[in-house]
Amino acid sequence: MIDLLAAIPIAAVICLVLFTALDIFWKLPKQGGVSGADVIGKELEKNGGDLNGGWMIGNIISSPDASTGTIFAACSYYVWGIWGALIAIVLVYIGEHICADKGFAGVSGVVCATLIIWLLTSFAGFPPESFIAGCVIAIFLVEGISPKHASRLLGKIWRKVS
Amino acid sequence: MIVEGICVVIAAYCAIRAVFEPKTLKKLPYLNVMNFAVAGAIVLLMPYPITIGAAIAYFIGSTLESNAIASTFARLEEQ
Amino acid sequence: MTDLILILAIFLALFGGIAALLMRSAFDKLICLGILTAGVVLFLVEKGYLDVAIVVSLLMPVGTIFILLLLGKKQEAAK
Repeated sequence: MIDLLAAIPIAAVICLVLFTALDIFWKLPKQGGVSGADVIGKELEKNGGDLNGGWMIGNIISSPDASTGTIFAACSYYVWGIWGALIAIVLVYIGEHICADKGFAGVSGVVCATLIIWLLTSFAGFPPESFIAGCVIAIFLVEGISPKHASRLLGKIWRKVS
Repeated sequence: MIVEGICVVIAAYCAIRAVFEPKTLKKLPYLNVMNFAVAGAIVLLMPYPITIGAAIAYFIGSTLESNAIASTFARLEEQ
Repeated sequence: MTDLILILAIFLALFGGIAALLMRSAFDKLICLGILTAGVVLFLVEKGYLDVAIVVSLLMPVGTIFILLLLGKKQEAAK
């Protein structure tokens, strides 16, 4: 068993890497998919940020993405184990189509995060509630401190990968 | 105790920062972080299977709301 | 442990309400109403009314979208 204080930073790093990689894999920084995401990206670029990173932050805000999938996988695994994750997959799929999002970023986020959380909780002894705190810290690092610098960093990563 | 403390501190900080930010479109990222923290707090408050439905319904609703605010604001500024 | 989240609910409801009174722009008022709704949903979940919480969080964006449709007619609302 790992102590809760030591598990939270490791979970935060895992969640941050997981949903950044999934969002880049589904090509979210390429264009503003929903109409609100386009506007937020252009507003961030006007204030000294980066356009591609701004589009990615706008997509996270205005449609359910891999970050949504990650936090609900953590929450539902904490409540009811694997069965809760199945409920979360169905509900996130419905919610994604309410918000007029065409891709499968949310569902893939739930599936990948559930696999990782199941492996780490049953074999490495992480407490399940550490992933809730870890995912909140990860999304706070991306959007909460300074969206301008975060969009520059995300744009740099996107241009290096593509 | 620690997990609840993290959710509460991040939600309160982002609510304060969203209110005191002068531009409307730059308030929306802070509002989104607050929604994440509140959805975590809903699940921590009552660990029961229907709570998953409540948390996802709250999050989808607030996402739809910020999308509508952003697109209408942009359409008004263009005119 | 539950008390900490209850303090967060009281803070969000009061802070969102007072900030919605003091804001000038109509869009900023809608964002502050979103903060108020987060507090109200936390109160409902703390008492165990999960069905009421689901209905409130699904009907909140519908009300916001109707207000935004009415605002779209006015030019001076974006200031």
